[in-house]
Amino acid sequence: MSYPEMLSPAGSRVFTLGNVAIARASLEYGVGVAAGYPGTPSSEIIEALGYAARKLGYPYVEWSVNEKVAFEVAYGAAMAGVPSIVTMKHVGLNVAADPLFSSAYTGVESSLLVVSADDPSMWSSQNEQDNRIYGLHAYVPVFEPAGAQEVREATLEALRFSEEHKHPVILRTVTRVSHTRALYTFGELRGPRMEGRFQRDPSRWALVPAHARRRREELVKKWELFSHHLSSSALNAAEGPEGSELLVVGAGIGFRYAREALSRLGLLGKVRLLKLTTTVPLPRELIASELERKEKVFVVEEGEPVVEDQLKLLSFDLGMRPLIMGKRSGHVKLTGELRLDAVAEGIASALGLSSLPREVRKPSLSPPPRPPTLCPGCPYRGVFYSLRKVASKMKLKLIYSGDIGCYSLGINPPLSSQDIIVEMGGSLGVGAGLTRAVKDAVVVATIGDSTFYHAGMPGLVNAAFNGAPMLVLVLDNGTTAMTGHQPNPATGHNLRGEARRIPIEEIARAAGASSVRVVNSFEMEELDKVVAEALTDARGGKLSVLVARGACILEAVAEARESKIQRPLYYVEQDRCRACTICYNLFACPAILSSQDGKAKIDPSLCTGCGVCVDVCPFDAILPRGEVEESWRRLLSGG
Amino acid sequence: MDSLNVVVAGVGGQGVLTLAKVIGEAAIASGRGALVAETHGLSQRGGSVVVHVRIGEVEAPLVPEGEGDLLISTELLEALRYASFLRREGEVVSDALVLKPYGFKGDLKAYQLAEELRRLGLRVHLVNAAGMAEPLGDVRAANMILLGYSVARTALGEFLDAREVEGVIGRGRGAEVNLKAFRLGLSMRAEG
Repeated sequence: MSYPEMLSPAGSRVFTLGNVAIARASLEYGVGVAAGYPGTPSSEIIEALGYAARKLGYPYVEWSVNEKVAFEVAYGAAMAGVPSIVTMKHVGLNVAADPLFSSAYTGVESSLLVVSADDPSMWSSQNEQDNRIYGLHAYVPVFEPAGAQEVREATLEALRFSEEHKHPVILRTVTRVSHTRALYTFGELRGPRMEGRFQRDPSRWALVPAHARRRREELVKKWELFSHHLSSSALNAAEGPEGSELLVVGAGIGFRYAREALSRLGLLGKVRLLKLTTTVPLPRELIASELERKEKVFVVEEGEPVVEDQLKLLSFDLGMRPLIMGKRSGHVKLTGELRLDAVAEGIASALGLSSLPREVRKPSLSPPPRPPTLCPGCPYRGVFYSLRKVASKMKLKLIYSGDIGCYSLGINPPLSSQDIIVEMGGSLGVGAGLTRAVKDAVVVATIGDSTFYHAGMPGLVNAAFNGAPMLVLVLDNGTTAMTGHQPNPATGHNLRGEARRIPIEEIARAAGASSVRVVNSFEMEELDKVVAEALTDARGGKLSVLVARGACILEAVAEARESKIQRPLYYVEQDRCRACTICYNLFACPAILSSQDGKAKIDPSLCTGCGVCVDVCPFDAILPRGEVEESWRRLLSGG
Repeated sequence: MDSLNVVVAGVGGQGVLTLAKVIGEAAIASGRGALVAETHGLSQRGGSVVVHVRIGEVEAPLVPEGEGDLLISTELLEALRYASFLRREGEVVSDALVLKPYGFKGDLKAYQLAEELRRLGLRVHLVNAAGMAEPLGDVRAANMILLGYSVARTALGEFLDAREVEGVIGRGRGAEVNLKAFRLGLSMRAEG
């Protein structure tokens, strides 16, 4: 992806994604080090910074192998006085939670901005966690932009606050901030601060218990101070009559919904509205003055009632007793993302107003669901197909301990090869646990390349160390495909284009797996044979590792276009087709359709030319038009 | 009208995000405010995709159900899926294309789906955009045909200056084909 707007001159008016505005603001501020692990909805921040770095030669940007390491890279640089940023999706902060807590104890010598992109409504996630709670837990202030519109200012302010107080700051976005396009006026690129100095001071940087106890005393004091300083932050602003009995608090993007909802209800300018961008810790003096004479407070926020709960505690301490409403009171739903109509209805019902007339008409005919699927030509389809077929031949019952990545899409029938999906890297640990409890099935832990490096490796070492008999199937397509093809150690190069490859099979051998095999995901005959061997080992009590390698078809197709490699087109020889339905019902490539008579046909606009269906067809009815070029086969092999 | 709520829908890979982005950029170039709320990641990969585009001085990024003015869809089942976003007499501009989701064995014809949309009190424009885009050399340019049509025949034209849309398309990838497609859409009449 290219992000030319990263280089636009100061004063440019640019319509772009919230994530790109975060990247641009970091560049304007002079961030020297940026690291992250891809995850929706956070990925474009590092991508855009990486684009800028390739063009400008700065800052230092990396895709790290997981969020913990990414955090540590930014943290280390910030210890040495280089302003740094680390980015991740919400669940990534679980992985990076350990250094997050420590970073609050030690502080830093420059900015350390931790971007957490939360995903309410779970558009692309396994949970709906609200990472502002990490801020409370770890004593790390949280800045929350009031919609995509305020991302640039909030990022710059968060970086400034972090540097001024030598303390990490979380910038919390949500999907509708990170992935919303808005208009920005860009500022000047001040040039990076790339070089720092490490001041040796073990009493600060080395958190042995004696040091940590002292740091904890200071941390608690700092927290009081932050609350005081944030009271005068220009990012927080109130409008409407001070004397109003009602205060509406719009936290982060909640402010946008609150303001537009008030406008619809005819209340804008008639009640007090507080835009709160610094949501953890609550700015004490500001809140105290806003709560004066208020009978009712209504909070609009995305996620858990983090501001609402803090407000209740603070008003209790202040001896004030307004009625505080929002999510706890049931006026706004706890689940899912905010909606304008729901916020307007919540405010109306809290005030005893009749809600706005609204008419939603649902069609009586509901369209069939269209879940995302493995792409036509995806290397995973053949591997899952082979696994099911071979297991059935061997009369083996399999438990598919799955993981997070494109292969999660193998959950859908007919492949149905993801029984469990819980978290990044979970396939191996959970799989090992299953082997201790289940004796009548073979456990297959399936994991992708990026997820393997991310958190699969400790699970593999543990399985080898403790001797878990299972098949570890690593689906290696050489890229982090689901989030937009970011490089990882299987890709062959890093973000900066430096050639590096760390083969999974070598790691598996070094870890002490009993057997390690590598197979081309696009060669079905070989695949069936090797899958059978690998399953036999697993059934025999071994830790059996199989690396199924084949290029992500999207990348192979793009590369073929670039290098002018001819992709073959396949067709169904109608005389040979017996309408057995295997290719479209069991293998289930979206490019293979059924005709009226049950025979198969291939949609040339969808067929990518992977050729796997040729081996799937028991009647040799699928054929290429013309020769299949060797260069295309090489491209597919991902070697 | 000082704001317009547009919902853009289709199947992952059909250029839905691009279509929404062009509308947003063209709105800005036409001197309007705009917010475009996308979904990425798992919601692509051949799945159903919906993008919210709000034009005018708006605060919140999402179009509330029952309040959309215009739905542009690159596929007819997806038009039906998001039809509840539209207000009464809201307009639907959809490709007449029906792509059956994998594993769906039923039969749904374009005219049935269009009829269902009309029953909801919507004004329905069916455009054979994919069929018209193919001779242009890229079936994905169907999205620009639908855009051109929407600018010419719906309230979108009151918010977007066609020349500004052309400017935005001209700066993007595949500009030549996309401009042709957009102009083709501009010059079209409804097929019913």
